[in-house]
Amino acid sequence: MQQYLLTILILLPAVGALAVGLHGSAPYARAQHYRWIALGFSALTFAVSLLLLGAPVGLGAGGTFHFVQDLPWVESVGAHYHLGVDGISLWLVLLTTLLVPVSILSSWTAIEKRELAFYASMLVMESAMIGVFVSLDLLLFYLFFEASLVPMFFLIGVWGGDRKLYAAIKFFIYTAVGSLLMLAGIIALWYAFGTFDYAQILAALQADPHRLTAEWAFWLFLAFAFAFSIKIPLFPLHTWLPDAHTEAPTAGSVILAGVLLKMGTYGLLRFNFALFPEQARNFAPLFVVLAVIGIIYGALVAMVQPDVKRLVAYSSVSHMGFVVLGMFSFTEWGMQGALYQMLNHGVSTGALFLLVGMIYERRHTRQIADFGGLSKPMPLFATLFVFTALSSVGLPLLNGFVGEFLIMFGTWNTGFVYLFWVGERAFHLNTWVVTMLAATGVIWAAVYMLWMLQRVLFGRVTNEKNRRLADLNWREIGLLLPLLALMVFMGAYPRPFLERSRASIEQVRARVVAGETQGVFSAAAQESK
Amino acid sequence: MTNHLLSIVVFAPLAGALINWLVGRRTRNETLIGFVACGAVAVSALAAFTIAFTGWGGAALTGDAATPVMSHLWTWIQVGSFRADFGFAMDRLSGIYACFVTFVGLLIHVFATGYMHGDKGFYRFFAYLNLFMFMMLTLVLADNLLLMFVGWEGVGLCSYLLIGYYTDRKEAGDAAKKAFVVNRIGDWGVVLGIMLVFFLTSHAGAPSISFFDKTAATVGGGDGVKSALATIGAMPIEAFGWQMIFAGGITSAAVLLFIGATGKSAQIPLYVWLPDAMAGPTPVSALIHAATMVTAGVYMVVRCSAIFSHAPTALFIVAIIGAATAIFAASVGIAQNDIKKVLAYSTVSQLGYMFLACGVGAFVAAIFHVMTHAFFKALLFLGSGSVIHGMHHEQDMRRMGGLRKYMPVTFAAMTVGWLAISGFPLLSGFFSKDEILWKTWSTESVGTAGVGKFLWVVGIVTAVITAIYMTRLMVMTFWGGERFRETRAGGEADEAHAHAYDAGTKPHDASLPSAGDRPRHEPGGSVGAPGHDAAAGPHALEDEDEEEEHHGPVEPRESPSTMTVPLVVLAFLSVVGGWVGIPYALSGGAVPNYFERTLEPVVARAPEAGAANAQGESALQRGAGASAQPPAAHGNEGAVPQSVGEGEAGGVPASEHAPDPAEISRERLFTIISVVVALVGIGVGWLWFQRKPLYEMPRLLENKYYVDEIYDAALVEPIKTGSREGLWRFFDVGVIDGIVNGMGRGMREIGSLLRFLQPGFVRSYAAIILIGALAVVGYFAYFAYNAVLVINR
Repeated sequence: MQQYLLTILILLPAVGALAVGLHGSAPYARAQHYRWIALGFSALTFAVSLLLLGAPVGLGAGGTFHFVQDLPWVESVGAHYHLGVDGISLWLVLLTTLLVPVSILSSWTAIEKRELAFYASMLVMESAMIGVFVSLDLLLFYLFFEASLVPMFFLIGVWGGDRKLYAAIKFFIYTAVGSLLMLAGIIALWYAFGTFDYAQILAALQADPHRLTAEWAFWLFLAFAFAFSIKIPLFPLHTWLPDAHTEAPTAGSVILAGVLLKMGTYGLLRFNFALFPEQARNFAPLFVVLAVIGIIYGALVAMVQPDVKRLVAYSSVSHMGFVVLGMFSFTEWGMQGALYQMLNHGVSTGALFLLVGMIYERRHTRQIADFGGLSKPMPLFATLFVFTALSSVGLPLLNGFVGEFLIMFGTWNTGFVYLFWVGERAFHLNTWVVTMLAATGVIWAAVYMLWMLQRVLFGRVTNEKNRRLADLNWREIGLLLPLLALMVFMGAYPRPFLERSRASIEQVRARVVAGETQGVFSAAAQESK
Repeated sequence: MTNHLLSIVVFAPLAGALINWLVGRRTRNETLIGFVACGAVAVSALAAFTIAFTGWGGAALTGDAATPVMSHLWTWIQVGSFRADFGFAMDRLSGIYACFVTFVGLLIHVFATGYMHGDKGFYRFFAYLNLFMFMMLTLVLADNLLLMFVGWEGVGLCSYLLIGYYTDRKEAGDAAKKAFVVNRIGDWGVVLGIMLVFFLTSHAGAPSISFFDKTAATVGGGDGVKSALATIGAMPIEAFGWQMIFAGGITSAAVLLFIGATGKSAQIPLYVWLPDAMAGPTPVSALIHAATMVTAGVYMVVRCSAIFSHAPTALFIVAIIGAATAIFAASVGIAQNDIKKVLAYSTVSQLGYMFLACGVGAFVAAIFHVMTHAFFKALLFLGSGSVIHGMHHEQDMRRMGGLRKYMPVTFAAMTVGWLAISGFPLLSGFFSKDEILWKTWSTESVGTAGVGKFLWVVGIVTAVITAIYMTRLMVMTFWGGERFRETRAGGEADEAHAHAYDAGTKPHDASLPSAGDRPRHEPGGSVGAPGHDAAAGPHALEDEDEEEEHHGPVEPRESPSTMTVPLVVLAFLSVVGGWVGIPYALSGGAVPNYFERTLEPVVARAPEAGAANAQGESALQRGAGASAQPPAAHGNEGAVPQSVGEGEAGGVPASEHAPDPAEISRERLFTIISVVVALVGIGVGWLWFQRKPLYEMPRLLENKYYVDEIYDAALVEPIKTGSREGLWRFFDVGVIDGIVNGMGRGMREIGSLLRFLQPGFVRSYAAIILIGALAVVGYFAYFAYNAVLVINR
């Protein structure tokens, strides 16, 4: 049973999609049926995914993945059907299986055309996303990675807003360019190792770190990193995101922000760090600088957006900058914080998109100027919106704070300077200065969020159309509740999460900092003495 | 010593908040809500006093100074060597804080039940107020820096919620947002400071952010935790010099923490939010923006006195900022016409005194002033609330006058507050302020030794101004002609009040645009026919009816007993509150200085002039270049750090058993100067404003030196415009998207660019792959585009 669990998780939503499709051909089929089928299957998937928590705490200790299934797949090229979870992917799978039923529930009344295709796409996407996080074979990973792109493309292009075509194509081109480069990288790895199997490649590299020449590793790192950086998205590759988030239907935005972006950071952690540790170290200053720029830039641009959804979208650029910063600190604090922040971002930003979707459904506008004083007609909505926004800006005792603090803490304690060369010249990047700059992101977050809250929720009701808006109904409360509960729980008691991911994170970290005793940049630290 | 009563102190108000939020919003029963809210705080206060004073509770205040009462709940964050517990601790410092916070908080809660009577959001108000108490007690009782930061941000949140309590007023929303954002700027420093403390302690071999030593027993297994303050307290004192700020040592940590204090405790340059915060209901101003939250910065500095006392440069900065803020805010306060604005600037000014005390190393005096200030400033704010209430929500003092006839209890109570803050002999403010001034003069702290005399002059001048503006406030409010008769009606504000009364809702101060310092009509100016408008409709208060029939709706009236009783209690405390800290020089030893004796063992002493010089040179060299070096590596035998640390129990303080006669007579002389100064200030104010209560103040002062305008023009607007036009419209949409869209159109150009790449084995492959990839993407994109077109058709 154990070894089939992941396969079951991947197949369940796909079967659900099939069921939706089959039901569509039945004569008694109604548009309302599809959502129930989709909800049922996604809820079942979530329930099954909870079984993953049955694995021992300290998951992935000693390099083992759990729930492993390894079958030959395309034997002629050495591709395997190899699945497994460790402490990193465990949480991302659970995040996925949680957010999908929530976003299906959020589409209940919002989707009014082609319901069959919509719910089928959602389920197909869930399969693909789970597949991405549990694949231990590069070809399989690539397959799922691309497979998640297609349904999202249609979600935006068909059920999106006014500029959906532009947004969908932009999203497609951006992501596809990246992932094709990654495909080239995967093929190159196959040339070098004769297999697509992640574990085998990793073992070979551990046995002989020079199996790849530095130049190959350099370009391979870039190919992977480029694909993932687009997905994250890292400044300056982020401009697909505001369009895609804004134009996508609510469910699409939730999944996009909640899960798809994490594929990028997950990929960096799983592939770039583990396979090309030396390059990861060399490239760290670049990523750190881009991450810090992204944190501040994303926040400043978010601040001046006239569109609520676009504001939340730009805030994602800022938040994901924190994640990247934490990962490239190469400290346990920073990397644990980065993983935790991925989950936080999925929960908080997912909830923000849900809330924005709720007022969009009522008013069919996303312009901040069209709102104002919503706390009068919709007090409960206002309360939950404020609550979620506070979680997003990192208020202590809510989830965002733990992640952001650990990331800054890890960056601060990296060990003084990132040392990097441009040509023959060595440059120092003081991590304290980096942290100080990154920490301003927390101030900006308060600025853009509170300003938006003020203009949307408070003041007098200026627009007559807003005077009689209905407050949240039970379905809407119900779909938000699990996320709100998680915000409190993850903020007050992060231990169960951190404990389960610790060993796996430590392993990746050990790979990156291998051979360095006093932290990665001891060479630089020595030089500064 | 473990004691779970501590959890009750902290969590009782949270329970009250939740009950009021969930149950109160349904019942809307004011009695019930008020009972729950006050009851929760009363339970909390009872538990706090039990722990502080009884052996059964642990006797945190009266027992052994070295063993705080601890309560470990759970390990909050533990990653690597970093560990932050969710645990509380009460030592003598937090014990004093917890006691006055819960007690003053209780009084203000009771007052608020009367003040907020009839408000539509009654339950919401008390839920927020209780939540605030929870956060404040978390801040005070936290046993480590990070949990303290939870309370630190938490009180900021509650302040945000309560300033913006009247959600439909834009000013309130703006003020709330401003408060939160400005506080966040300070929090930036706190977070970084915490990290630096951890960094320093971990390089000393004992990574910790805990305030106290914790054994395996207190934390429930695992390894114990060593106090970060003790670790830093064992390090050598850093040299005095500006470069130390950037050296990444103790000084840097202290400065970063102090940045947070300037935000929370409204010091230059981050004080700007506090005057605006007066948009909140008056009990909020009293509780949060006068008595408790704003003193959190002082609490943190004193709590971390081991850090500050090792950073003479930081202490110097603290002293300068404190003194500058004190005199600056006092000079603004003298020209304000809104009764709450005067008190707000007065609060900023008094907080400046507290930081001045910290800066000269008189940490005990700072806490003493925090406590007495909590009494008399809460009294003054609640008194002003009573006045505002009685004046039907008029806040402009130019439209008051002669109120002592109408509100005798309020008048009497406020008189006590006025004299206490002015430094009238034997009242509480007299002792604490005198103590600060004396310590400022006599300080021997590094860096401030010579400057101490100058700072004393600043402090004395501030004392005069304080006495003058408080006298002005009293005179304009309670003496003189009854200007509310002349200027009644005509103002849109008053009409709005009348309408609000008609609608059966009872507005409060600041719930309507009348609040603030923008006069709607000049005092004494032409006003409509008084008396006929606003024939009061349904009355919110029962006792209102008969009086109003005689005098019309503006007739001032005394407030109900729920409001006057807390005033009387606070007035009593404002008189006697200072008697626990009478210095030796004044009592001659007849009354021991309980306050100093209690606190002395748990705060560090400031370095004296000679102490730091020994290792000054080496520290300087270290600081200039390699910040990488942990300061502990330079264990220097030259000087023993002056800190007595957290753990050591001190005996009787040096100041008490070594009464140098010359010193005593000098201290007495300075006390006399203080008294004279206070009386002169009151006298000047009296003569000046008794004659001309509406004396026009200089525009520069009335407009607060235009600081808000300068901040707006220099910071807020450029950032907004730059972000909108520069970053977003130009860079994001123009440059990046321009490039992307351009790429989408012309892949050929990309191809031609690739030719410029250096030839090379791998690189040419990469180029080919890139071109190929782009071609494939182009093909797929075209295909996908058509597919969507078909579906959408």
